[in-house]
Amino acid sequence: MEHLIQYAPYTGWVYPNETVIEWSVAIVVYPYITGLVAGAFTVSSLYQVFGFQRLKPVAHLALLTSLCFMLFVPLPLLLHLGHPERAFNNLLTPHLTSAMAMFGYFATFYIVLLVVETWFAFRPYIVEQAQKRIGLIGSFYRALTLGSYDVSETALRYDRKWIFWLAIAGIPGAHGLHGYVGFVFGSLKSREWWSSDLMPLVFLFSAIISGVALLIVLYVASCKLRRTPIDLACLKGLAYTVWAFIIVAFVLEGLEFANIVYKGREGIEMIMTFVTGPLLFPYFVLQFGIGAIVPLLALSYMIWRGTTGKALVVGVTLSACLVLLSVFMMRWNVVIGGQEISKTGKGLLTYPLQVFGKEGLISSLSLVIAPLVVLLGITRLFPPWEHKAAP
Amino acid sequence: MKREAISALRARRGFLRKIGGAGAAVAVGTAGLMHKVAAKSEPAAAQKSFPTPDYDWTKHRWAFGVDATKCIGCLRCVEACKRENNVPLDAHHFNTWIERYVYLEGEDKARIDSQQDPVNIAASGSEGQYRFANRYQDAKVEKAFFVPKLCNQCEHPPCVQVCPVGATYKAKDGVVLIDAEYCIGCRYCVQACPYGARWFNEEKGVTQKCYWCYHRITKGLQPACVEVCPVGARVFGDRDDRDSPISLFIRNNRVQVLKPETGNAPNVFYVGIDKEVL
Amino acid sequence: MPKHISRILAILAAGLAIALVAKWYFTTGSFYEFGHYRGDSVAEIAAKQPVLQTSGYCKSCHSERHLQWSAANHKSVQCEVCHGAGEGHPQKGKLPIPSDTRKLCSLCHERMPGRPAAQPQIVLAEHGAEQQCIVCHNPHAPKITGVVAKVSGDAAAGAKKHAAACAACHGANAISANDAWPNLAGQHAAYLVRILGAFKSGAQTDVMMSSVAKDLSDPEIQNLAAYYAGLTCNAAAAEKAAGDAAAGKLLAKNCAACHGEAGAAPNPAWPNLAGQKGVYLANALKAFRAGLRKDPMMAGVARGLSDADIVNLAAYYAAQSCGKKP
Repeated sequence: MEHLIQYAPYTGWVYPNETVIEWSVAIVVYPYITGLVAGAFTVSSLYQVFGFQRLKPVAHLALLTSLCFMLFVPLPLLLHLGHPERAFNNLLTPHLTSAMAMFGYFATFYIVLLVVETWFAFRPYIVEQAQKRIGLIGSFYRALTLGSYDVSETALRYDRKWIFWLAIAGIPGAHGLHGYVGFVFGSLKSREWWSSDLMPLVFLFSAIISGVALLIVLYVASCKLRRTPIDLACLKGLAYTVWAFIIVAFVLEGLEFANIVYKGREGIEMIMTFVTGPLLFPYFVLQFGIGAIVPLLALSYMIWRGTTGKALVVGVTLSACLVLLSVFMMRWNVVIGGQEISKTGKGLLTYPLQVFGKEGLISSLSLVIAPLVVLLGITRLFPPWEHKAAP
Repeated sequence: MKREAISALRARRGFLRKIGGAGAAVAVGTAGLMHKVAAKSEPAAAQKSFPTPDYDWTKHRWAFGVDATKCIGCLRCVEACKRENNVPLDAHHFNTWIERYVYLEGEDKARIDSQQDPVNIAASGSEGQYRFANRYQDAKVEKAFFVPKLCNQCEHPPCVQVCPVGATYKAKDGVVLIDAEYCIGCRYCVQACPYGARWFNEEKGVTQKCYWCYHRITKGLQPACVEVCPVGARVFGDRDDRDSPISLFIRNNRVQVLKPETGNAPNVFYVGIDKEVL
Repeated sequence: MPKHISRILAILAAGLAIALVAKWYFTTGSFYEFGHYRGDSVAEIAAKQPVLQTSGYCKSCHSERHLQWSAANHKSVQCEVCHGAGEGHPQKGKLPIPSDTRKLCSLCHERMPGRPAAQPQIVLAEHGAEQQCIVCHNPHAPKITGVVAKVSGDAAAGAKKHAAACAACHGANAISANDAWPNLAGQHAAYLVRILGAFKSGAQTDVMMSSVAKDLSDPEIQNLAAYYAGLTCNAAAAEKAAGDAAAGKLLAKNCAACHGEAGAAPNPAWPNLAGQKGVYLANALKAFRAGLRKDPMMAGVARGLSDADIVNLAAYYAAQSCGKKP
């Protein structure tokens, strides 16, 4: 049984109240999940809005992934709250000057949007199942049809139009939702490590690469599980997408760090001590080195050589895994790293990672895995691949 | 004008409650969680004086002064505050605290500690009691002083800015208060405060901080820390009263505030601090 | 518009309506009354009862203590600083009277870098040995003033009076012949004025001295004091005393603050003890301990001394050379 709170060991001079690190690994997981939502939605809209036809095999999978992860976005926050039962206060009296206040509305709007768009996308399948199935599951599909079995060409044309506009509305929705997460940190003037105008952009681009990378992994895994051939054109499209966005994300993250160092405001000595000491491995090695530069070089090499076949699948999937790690480390280094540098600029703290407990490692990891389990279930109800095969 | 708008709003809400109350409660299904809301009170502003019959918050503008040249580091303020405000008796939660700055001969940077430092806790014998260990008695000390710290009740409080629900706010008399019945416990305000003044009460699930003993000053008393300070290092008063201790303190001294570059405009004014204090 | 689209729109509209109604319904009554917060919370926060009651509250029962405290130099230290918060007292019980005053008083008075020079500070290891502070200091009026009597006597006239009235007991050179009677040579004049005045007024009594002092006029006391103070103390080294001077030396640390480390008092209000008669010293301490001699300070000091301690202390002071200046 671990204690209610664990105190953070420190060196140098820190304010007495800082010895409790308030934002835990749950708050690392939260932007990570939100980022995956935004990134996956980006893939779906690349197909729905921007007409990237080669991404068609993953378009519906992307939508479902986005929905499943979105359902879990509020959970780490609720686990973190001192009074989760008062969470509705956020919706009742949102304080408009707070970067966090609009979260409830944004998230609700976005969940509704995802549900409606998914419903439109799967309506032909729902109608088909409603007519075919019996029993409980049949009733479920019949309820979802809202009593309309109309799958005429006119109706489907309407549906496509709605999907298009919902996807367009979803792009600012998803990216606003995630950009705001960056703003939550970037707008605070209390910490030099956070206080940055680039923070929303950094979060956004890392979100996109994490979402695309997740889809690469999910797509390859689903093909293996279903023993179907991998559509290499689609995989290549995803690889190009992640490759292009990695460059932007990497440049932005580098710029942000360069800004902090170059401006060299008060407390910079402590930041330098931090990044060359405790943060060396998680920041330079994991986030930048292994997580960004290695996949960037690997993808560049494969694109240059025109790698294809099994080598491409393995190379792209491994790169995607590294990107997923990099983005997680980026969240960690921002959320935890920021709190490990004292507001005094004269001391460093060490985050005492708890294993158990509601904000511990296990519950946080479960929060990352749970959406995947839900995704597994939901693909049974709404198969994103069979739909493609339908005429 | 504003009063009328509020009562109109109230009437409308009352009407809505009558027609849609039952339906809404069932639809949302969270009625149980929000039970406290059901009992709506009379408008507080209907009283002549607010928030208490003897105290009108529009007639005061509180401010706090710290004369660091007087502080002896006895930490009686810290103990008094902990007891007055039921702050957990440990080394990690403080509404107010004292920092010690010591420059040793040949050193450019101050050595800084506070009562929560393990050496000082060892000297006091427990985390619930506070004293500074005499750790520099045999060192060659060039300059040393103590600095009391507390919530600055900023003019532009970043903690209030970031609170998502309106559980913390600046009262009309200048004190930044926390509504412990409304706080959701997200701790964004803790992150936003550059002074480390806020802390999270794990037992109560809400954030707490120094509020200049609002329950005392509204009864005509001094904040607990000011009351017990034996050397007058803490000054409290009403800036609207030209002859109050704080008005005199600000007028007769060259005062400064902590971290002015943040634009928070603190309302705790310091005398006798040094470049290393922040 | 197809049926399914109008239906999903209807569902969304219904959801929105329910949400809006719920928002109105559940928003706390006093919210927005003064701003973006619950107006009632201000009064709730202000309603909390104070824990510290202030010294005025203590005064209502402890008026005598309050009077003494408020007239002295500790009046800036509120009652509750040392005695704890007054909330619930006296209904819920007594407030603590601190026992470890060495720990308590040193919170403010231990010499420490960073404390302003105006703050009275002591080096703990060099002050009062291991004694509790309240042995010598009254916590409510801690400053030890040691009223220094004015001395403006004529030493020559004092010498005559001495030869006539005192020399028989205290010796021709004011070095007493009897071990039970004190030497007077080299004693602080201010102390002598005070003690003779006390014998004269009856504040202090002694079989012999009470009657002698009664006949002395104030100028005569002044003259005598000036005479004795001007004499050089050249008492013969103490005869083998009964006690253990080495053990006495350790105890004498407790007396050093007022009487000097080797018995030469730094403050003229307090007597020198170096080279004083051993039996006299032992008798005096026993008298303080028994309350026969009255002195607020010495009563506290002597209370904790055993017979052996007294004899050892006497032996130590008797063995000190009395010529030294503090």
